[in-house]
Amino acid sequence: MSADVPEWPTGLAAALADAMAAGAAAGGAFSTARSAALDAAEAFPGEECDLLDASGLARAYVPERLGGVAGGLPELLSALREVARRDVTVAVAHGKTFLGSVSTWVAGTEDQQRALARLVTDENAVVAWGLTERGMGSDLLAGNLTATPEPDGTWRITGEKWPINNATRGRLICVLARTDPAGGPRGFSLFLIDKSALPEGAWEPLPKEPTHGIRGADISGLRLRDAPVPADALVGGVGDGLGIVLRALQLTRTLCAALSLGAGEHALRLVADFAVERALHGTRLALLPLARRVLGRAAASLALADAAALLGGRSAHGLPGEMSAVSATVKAGVPWIVQQAIDDLAELLGARGFLTEQHADGMFQKLERDHRIVAVFDGSTAVNRSLLISQFPLLARLIRKGSYDATGLAAVTGGAPLPELDPAALRLVSRTGCSIVQAVPDTAERITALAAAGELPPRAAELAALLAERTGALADAMAELPPTGRNAPAAAFAVARQFEACFAGAAALHLLAVPCAADRAVVLTAALERCLELLVPGHQAPSDAFEPLVTPLVQPVEEPVR
Amino acid sequence: MSDITDAPATADATEVRAWLRECVATYVRLPAEDIDENLPLSEYGLDSVYVLSLCADIEDRYGIEVEPTLLWDHPAIGPISEALAPLLAAR
Amino acid sequence: MTLVDPAGATSPAASPDPIDRLEALFGDAGAAGNPVGREAVLAADADGSMLAAGEDLLDAFGLNAHFVPEALGGRFAGPEELIGVMRAVYRRDPALGLGYGAGSFMAAVNVWTSGSAEQQSWLAGHLLSGGRVACGYHELAHGNDFARAELTALPGPDGQLLVNGRKEVVANLARAGAVVLFARTDAAAGSRSHSQLLLETARLASDTLTRLPRFATVGMRGVPLGGIEFTDCPVPADAVVGTPGHGLETAQRSFQLTRIALPGMTLGLLDTALRTALRGALGRRLYAGTAADLSLSRTVLAEAFADLLLADAFVTVAARAAHTAPGQSTVYASAVKLLVPALVMGAVSRLSELLGSQFYLRAAEQPLFQKLQRDVLPSAFGHASRVSCQAALLPQLPLTVRRTWSAEDGPALPPTTFRPGEPLPPLDFGALKVTAGGRDPLSRSLLQGAERPTGRGEDAELAARASQYATEIRALSAEAARLTPDQLGPAAPPHAFDLTTRWAGVLAAAACLGLWWERPGDGQGPGAEPAWVLAALHRLGVHTGRHHDPLPEPLSEFLYAELLRRHDAGLTFDHARRPTGA
Repeated sequence: MSADVPEWPTGLAAALADAMAAGAAAGGAFSTARSAALDAAEAFPGEECDLLDASGLARAYVPERLGGVAGGLPELLSALREVARRDVTVAVAHGKTFLGSVSTWVAGTEDQQRALARLVTDENAVVAWGLTERGMGSDLLAGNLTATPEPDGTWRITGEKWPINNATRGRLICVLARTDPAGGPRGFSLFLIDKSALPEGAWEPLPKEPTHGIRGADISGLRLRDAPVPADALVGGVGDGLGIVLRALQLTRTLCAALSLGAGEHALRLVADFAVERALHGTRLALLPLARRVLGRAAASLALADAAALLGGRSAHGLPGEMSAVSATVKAGVPWIVQQAIDDLAELLGARGFLTEQHADGMFQKLERDHRIVAVFDGSTAVNRSLLISQFPLLARLIRKGSYDATGLAAVTGGAPLPELDPAALRLVSRTGCSIVQAVPDTAERITALAAAGELPPRAAELAALLAERTGALADAMAELPPTGRNAPAAAFAVARQFEACFAGAAALHLLAVPCAADRAVVLTAALERCLELLVPGHQAPSDAFEPLVTPLVQPVEEPVR
Repeated sequence: MSDITDAPATADATEVRAWLRECVATYVRLPAEDIDENLPLSEYGLDSVYVLSLCADIEDRYGIEVEPTLLWDHPAIGPISEALAPLLAAR
Repeated sequence: MTLVDPAGATSPAASPDPIDRLEALFGDAGAAGNPVGREAVLAADADGSMLAAGEDLLDAFGLNAHFVPEALGGRFAGPEELIGVMRAVYRRDPALGLGYGAGSFMAAVNVWTSGSAEQQSWLAGHLLSGGRVACGYHELAHGNDFARAELTALPGPDGQLLVNGRKEVVANLARAGAVVLFARTDAAAGSRSHSQLLLETARLASDTLTRLPRFATVGMRGVPLGGIEFTDCPVPADAVVGTPGHGLETAQRSFQLTRIALPGMTLGLLDTALRTALRGALGRRLYAGTAADLSLSRTVLAEAFADLLLADAFVTVAARAAHTAPGQSTVYASAVKLLVPALVMGAVSRLSELLGSQFYLRAAEQPLFQKLQRDVLPSAFGHASRVSCQAALLPQLPLTVRRTWSAEDGPALPPTTFRPGEPLPPLDFGALKVTAGGRDPLSRSLLQGAERPTGRGEDAELAARASQYATEIRALSAEAARLTPDQLGPAAPPHAFDLTTRWAGVLAAAACLGLWWERPGDGQGPGAEPAWVLAALHRLGVHTGRHHDPLPEPLSEFLYAELLRRHDAGLTFDHARRPTGA
C-alpha cells in the first residue's frame, strides 16, 4: 500500500477491537447476549465502558499535545466506529465525553485544557454537554438556564438541561448558560461544571428518559439551583458561548459519522451472514442475484459514506476554515446514506430483523433503533441541511468558478502526516466554500488521465465525468434557489441532499485520484457508482457494478445439500 | 484565494447600506423599502446562525474578510454598515 | 376533497354502519382514562401484552363476523369493507388489529377458498362464537418460501396422518382454538406436495405437542407469537382442506385477498402516524413559531398525506377488482403488497423527522409515534415480502405482453370498479386463479382512458400524466418482451425484478386515474379536485425511482390545508374521510 494514500488510523481501533472481541468471546462485555439483555432492561453498559476505559479510548478525546492520541479527529472517528460496530449504545455512552470536552479544546485557557485533559485521560472522568432544554428544540438561544455573576468573580447557575446524554453519570458537564437576560447571540456563555465540587442540594439529576433506541444510555437531565461555580469554570469569554458551541459542533457533527458507519457495518455483517446460511429456492440467498445486489449496494453505500467521513475528519485538520460546510454535510449526509443501506438490508433479513432474541440475539433490530438517534444528535438532519442551505450562494459561486484551497485540499487528500487540529482556525462560516466539492472537475480530469494510462478501471473515468457534470448541475440548482432565512422550501432541502451525495462522491473521487491498490480502486469505483444512483434518478449502474464488493462478504457459500 | 471574490470598484457606507437592505429583503421576501435599517435582523427571522451566511455575502461582494461575529455585535443593517466602514476603507 | 362534511347527525353508537359503531366504541383516544385510549395502548405495548380492554371491545363488537362470508352467517362480503373496519382498529392499535383479527382472517381464507362445506360451516361457527384460528404457515428456516415448508403430515404405519415438525412465529398459536396448518403431504418435490390442515387444537393429542417459547419482537409487541413442535401427532383424514396436495394453489389463490387486505388495514397505522406527527408539529415550538409553520414540515406532511391517498386508491381498486376481475386478482394483490407496505414504511420514517428528538423519547409529547414506527416493521416481510411479490409477478410478464399490451385489446375493468360505494358483484372465491393468464384489464383501463379526448373540462395536466403512463406501459412491454425464460425465476437478474416494480407502478397510476375518471359527476366530495391525483402520481414517481423531487409547493400547500381541515374536524386522512377519535 502506497504511503501517499490517506488512510484511517488503525492503532487505537485495533486495540479496542481486540479488547472487545476478548470480552465478547468470554460471554462478558460486548457479547451479543449481554448487549441484548442490557437493551431489554434499559440498563447502562457499565462494564463495557470500563473495558473501553481500560483500553485507552479516553485518550482519543484529548488533543495530542495534551497527552491524547496522535491521529486527531480521524483517529477518534476510527476508534468510535469500532465500538459502534459492536454496540452503538456503548459508543454513544462513552463518546459523549468528547462532546463535553470539545468546547474547552476550542476556547479554554491552557490551564483549563490541562486540567480537563488530566481528568479525562488519568481518571476517565465522564463529561457531558448540556445545550438543550425542555421545549426549546434545536434553538440554542432559547435556553433559560442562567448564570449570574457574583461580586467575587464566581457565578451562580440556576436552571435545567434536558435531555442530556450522561447528565446523571457525568462528573463534569459543560453547559450553555444565559448570561444576559436579553439573550441573543452575545447573551450566552459556557461553563464547565464539576458536579463533585458543588455543595449538597445545588444540583439534582432529572430522571432517565425512556427512549426508542440506545435504551441503555443515560439520557437524563440536570437541575441546578443557585449552584456556585468558580470563576475559572467559564470557558471562553462572557457572551462567547454561541460562537464556541457552533465551532465545537463542527467537530462533534463530523464525529457522528462514526456511529453511522459502525451501525451500517454491523448491519451488513449480520445480513451477509444470514444470506450465506439461508437456504431457499434450492440455493442460498447469498447466491441469488437480487440479494447480491442488495448486499453489494449496501457495501457501496458504506464505502461512499466512509470516504465522506474520512475526508470530513481530515478536513478538520487540513481545511479547518471550511468545517461549517463540511460538518453539516457529513452530519446530514452520512446517516442518510447509511440509513438507506440499513433499510435495504432489513428487507433482506426479513422476520429475523424483527425478532429480539433470534439471529445474534436480535442485534439487528437493536442497531436499527440505535442508529435512528444519529440523525437527531447534535442538530437534526433538517437543522444541518438548513445550515448548508444558508451557505448555498457562496458554494454555488465557488463551484462555478472551480476555485478551491489547493494547499488545504492536498493536506486532506494526500498521504503526508496531517497538521495538528487547530481549533482557532475553525470558522463560523466558510470563506472558501467546500474545496472537496469545488475541486471535482479538476480531479475528474486526473481520473480520466489515470484511467487512460490503465491505472484505474475505465468505469472510474466515466463516473468521474458524470460526477463533474452533476456537480455543475448542482451549482445551477443551488444558484436558482432564492436566498431564504430559516424557512427554506422543501426544494432547497432536496438540493442539500444532492450536495451531500456530491460531497461523498467527491471524497471517493479524490481518494481514487491517489495511486492506490487495485482492490481499493474497485471499492471506490463502486462507491462512486452508488453516488450517481443517489444523484441521478434512473441512473443505470452496470449489472456487475457492486458485485466485487459481494464476493468477500459472503465467502464461503455453498449450494445447500437437499 | 483572492480569485474568489468580485469586489465593486468603490463602496461607501451608503452603498453598503443599500446593498445590505436589498440582500435582507431577498432573504426575507419583503420589498426593500419595508426593511428597517435599525431593526435587529432577528426580527426578520434571520437568526444568529443565518446572519452568518450574510457575512459570506459581504465578504464575497467587497473582497474583505469579516469576522462573522461582527453581525452578532452589530445586529441591524445600520450598525453593520458603520462597522464595515473601516474595513472597506482599509482595502 | 375541499369540502369537509360536518360529522354525522345520527348517534354513531346506534349506527348501522359498522365503522361508525366501532369508532364510537373506541371513543376519544386522547381522553384521560379511556381504557382503549392512547395511554392504555402504550401501556400494553410496554408490557408486551394485548390490550385486554380492546379485545373485549372487539368481542362485543363482533369483529370475527367480518371474517366470515355472508353465506356462512357472517358479514364478510369482500375485502373493501373488511379493510374499512380493520383500518379503524389499526388506527387505534396495530397490535390489536393483527393480534385480534388479521391472523384469524389469514387462516380462514384458506378454508373459504378450498375447504369442504363441513369445514367451512365448522370454522364459521367457531369464529362467530368468538374463537380464534391461527395461521400456521411460518417456519423460521423458510420464511415466505412456503414450498420449502418442512412440517409433514404423512400417513403412519396404520395409514393415519401423522404430523411432524415445527411452526414458528405464528400469531395466537398458543391461544387459538383452531389452526390452519400448512404441511408437506407428499415427500416429492414440486407444487402438488403440500396441503392445509384445519385442526381443532383442543382435540390434538397433547403428548405429541411441544409448545415453543413465545417469540419476542421489537414491534407489535403485544401480539403473542408462538411456536409448536409436533411429534407423530395423529390428525383425522378429513382435516385436509381441499384436494390433498393442492395446498400451494390454495395458498396462492386465497392469499390474494389478504395481500390486498393487510396493506389496506395498515393504512390505518399511517393515518394515525400522520395525525400524531401533525399534532406534534403543531405543538412543537421552534424559533418564532411551531414546526408546522416551516415549509419543509408542511411538505413532509403533505407528501405523507399524498402517499396515503395513493395507497388507498390502489388498495380500493384492487379490492373492488377482486369482485369484477377475480381471475386477475393475483396480479393486483401482488402489486399492492409489493408497493404499499414499502410506501407506508417510508412515509412513517419521514414523518419521524418532523418530531426532532421527540420521536425518540417514549415519554414525550407524542409517545405513540415510536410505537407506530416499530409496529410498521412487519408490513415489509409479514405474509409476503416485496421480493416474493415480485417473484409472483415476474413470470406473468411475458404473457401479459403478448395478450394485453401488444394485442391492444382485451377488456378494461368495469367502471363500477372505480366507483366506491356502488354495489359490486358477489365475491367468488372459486374464481380466484393462480395466474392472470396474461390479462391485465386495469392497465387496459389506463390505456383506454389515456386516449379519451381532452377538453370537456378534463384537467390537461392529468391527461398528460395519463399519456405518460400509457407510454410507460409501452416501454415496459418492450423491455418485458426481451425477458428470456431463465430470467423469470428467483435467480433472475435484478433488472428483471425491477420491471415488476414498474408494472406495479403503472397499476397504481391506473387506479388513481380510474378513480378520477369515474368520479361522481356532482363535483362534490373528496374526489372532485385533481390535486389529489396529481400529488399521488407525483409521489408514485418517487416511489418507483423516476425522480427525487419534493411535492411542488402549490400541491403541498393545497394538501396541507386539507390535512389541517380534516385534523381539526376529526376526520380520517384516507379517501373515506370518516369521523374518527383516533
